[in-house]
Amino acid sequence: MNVTPRSAAAILSLSLAAAVLAGCSEQAGGGNGTAAAGEATCEPSKVRLVGQVRNESNPYEASWLAGGDEFAKSVGLTQERLTYDGDSTKQQEQISQILAGDTKCLVMNVLPNGDSDTPPIVKGADQAGAYLVTQWNKPADLKPADYKTWLSHITYNGVESGQQIGDALATAIGGTGGIIALQGVLDTAAAKDRFVGLQNSLKKNPGVTLLDQQAANFSRAEALTVTKTLLTKHGDHVKGIWAANDDMALGALEALQQAGKAGKVAVVGIDAVPDAVTAVKNGTMTATVSSDGSWQGGIGLAIGFCAATGKLKVEDIAAANRAFFAEQFLITKDNAGEFAAPKTNPADFECGNVFNRVAGPLT
Amino acid sequence: MTSEVVTAPRRQSRRGAAFRDAGPPVALIVIFAIFSALSPQFRSTDNVQNIVDAAAVLAVVTCGITFVLMMGSIDLSAAGVMGACALTVSLLVANNRNDNGFGLLGIAVAVLLGCAFGALSGLALVLLKVPSFMATLGMSAVGLGVATLMFAGVQPNITDTMVKGLAIERFLGFSYLTWIAAVCVLLGWLIQRYTRLGRYAYAIGGAEEVLALSGVKVKPYKVAVFALAGAFYGLGGVMVTSQLGAGLVQAGDGYDFSAITAAVVGGTLLTGGRGGIPHSAVGVLLVMVLTNGLVQVGVSPYWQGGVEGLIVVAAVAAAVIPQRRRNQVVK
Repeated sequence: MNVTPRSAAAILSLSLAAAVLAGCSEQAGGGNGTAAAGEATCEPSKVRLVGQVRNESNPYEASWLAGGDEFAKSVGLTQERLTYDGDSTKQQEQISQILAGDTKCLVMNVLPNGDSDTPPIVKGADQAGAYLVTQWNKPADLKPADYKTWLSHITYNGVESGQQIGDALATAIGGTGGIIALQGVLDTAAAKDRFVGLQNSLKKNPGVTLLDQQAANFSRAEALTVTKTLLTKHGDHVKGIWAANDDMALGALEALQQAGKAGKVAVVGIDAVPDAVTAVKNGTMTATVSSDGSWQGGIGLAIGFCAATGKLKVEDIAAANRAFFAEQFLITKDNAGEFAAPKTNPADFECGNVFNRVAGPLT
Repeated sequence: MTSEVVTAPRRQSRRGAAFRDAGPPVALIVIFAIFSALSPQFRSTDNVQNIVDAAAVLAVVTCGITFVLMMGSIDLSAAGVMGACALTVSLLVANNRNDNGFGLLGIAVAVLLGCAFGALSGLALVLLKVPSFMATLGMSAVGLGVATLMFAGVQPNITDTMVKGLAIERFLGFSYLTWIAAVCVLLGWLIQRYTRLGRYAYAIGGAEEVLALSGVKVKPYKVAVFALAGAFYGLGGVMVTSQLGAGLVQAGDGYDFSAITAAVVGGTLLTGGRGGIPHSAVGVLLVMVLTNGLVQVGVSPYWQGGVEGLIVVAAVAAAVIPQRRRNQVVK
């Protein structure tokens, strides 16, 4: 739950005030932005690093912040950790507060709550001349290349990961048999893309049939109930379970255990949360896909740090690196050991290497 | 003080009361019959067991919330309290984060913690005069905060075979959790029917002033009702932990409103003084039959949310038509 009760009047007046401010300061702000991006190079010790995610109550975002800490430590700084409990208003407030301070050498690595939360963050950072890297969510028509200090937007190709685990599942069940799919929150891009990936995989593996697909909203508890229901509906026809994220895959594993089918049905997920990686290592789960949360937490700060200290010129960043799909990794029993403990590789964060994981431009 | 409770005068006859209460069970039977006709898998023994098993946690949480609703208050703290209790129990029984292994004692501590959260909500209500809506919403946030602190970035997975076994082992075809839920429903009903606490909760919802005027100190009972509800949420959190095999901050996600829905669908009025545990139990089954049935008959997931909402509204409408005149919720 993330309801922050506040009178509607307060919100209205705040947003009005914000709109007025934004309108008034647009021209003046543009000038500042140029100044900061163009000539200023900051002393490495003067750079301020901010990492912002939804909350620390899930392993993925916790590893993100941990990765940010590791990068900050490697350059002798500390990361300011912000969490907004999945509350868009709170996220904007935190950003405004940060931007109200000294923004000359500010570097922000932000996970916007949703697509529509990105534009105000980008505008605010642009006016303040703060270096910004966003991840996962942005509207398609908003492009970092049109801004001076919005260095990059990083996301992952959900179609690809959905297909990777679909193929791994098909292999695990020997290429023939029925599977069921657990979808995420149906109106999110992640859920849609990953499911398209599954459909591509089904075309490639004609022996595999999709018996049923249900939404379990990325939730472990919902996946448990839905899987139990689907297991009673389809019985022994279910040979595999495709889940759009690991939490649901773990819920499905519990359901299998409760139905006395543990080990008889293959399960795949996406995200590589620690429990899922352990399950893959033990063989109870077939595969998962890692976006490498700790790398995400570090890389956004690293790109910003390199730009702020002048080691990376904004105009030198290739267009394809301003918004890109990052490389993701299929984890199976063979390589699960390497992913068991989330850790970062300092070499990834060196200014010459920050774009090494670009898998393709975001179109 | 006498143990007799002053009940608000009712105009309906006994026969009227019976008719009034018949709505939800009839709706349950009708919906069950429709799904059974549409899907042979739905009426299989396996699936009926599955529905009842799936209803266990919601039943326990709804038991708690019913007492609060009967009293005419509202309780939105379930999500936070369940989260805090889920983390507590998962860190106290054998787990992968520390060397604890308190077993049953761990469960008891979690339930007591839930009870304490409930008592705090109740105290905020009676001492600080915070409306129950806000007091419990705040308590939910506190619970989630406490849970997040205990979570500390690493999910605690339970290795305690007893706690995990509650969800997996079966007795007479049903999981142990289901039996626990059945005991809770029975216990809740006994409290409601035979203890002063239960009967006063009822009376506070019906006519608090009358009760106060007849010399009853209402406040302690209000706090006690919230504490009782909190204990049920705590147990609910333990049960979710057993089902999922791990302590999740989000253990109680959505249970606050599902429980209120189940209670209202079952015929408990949000204004208090009407309904009770048996009503809520029927409501819980109605909600679970609905979610399960829609999957079994193959309604597309894109349609399910909407269809489920419509059926819930229709079921509540059908249930309250006989009492439309008295139903103060419909304003």
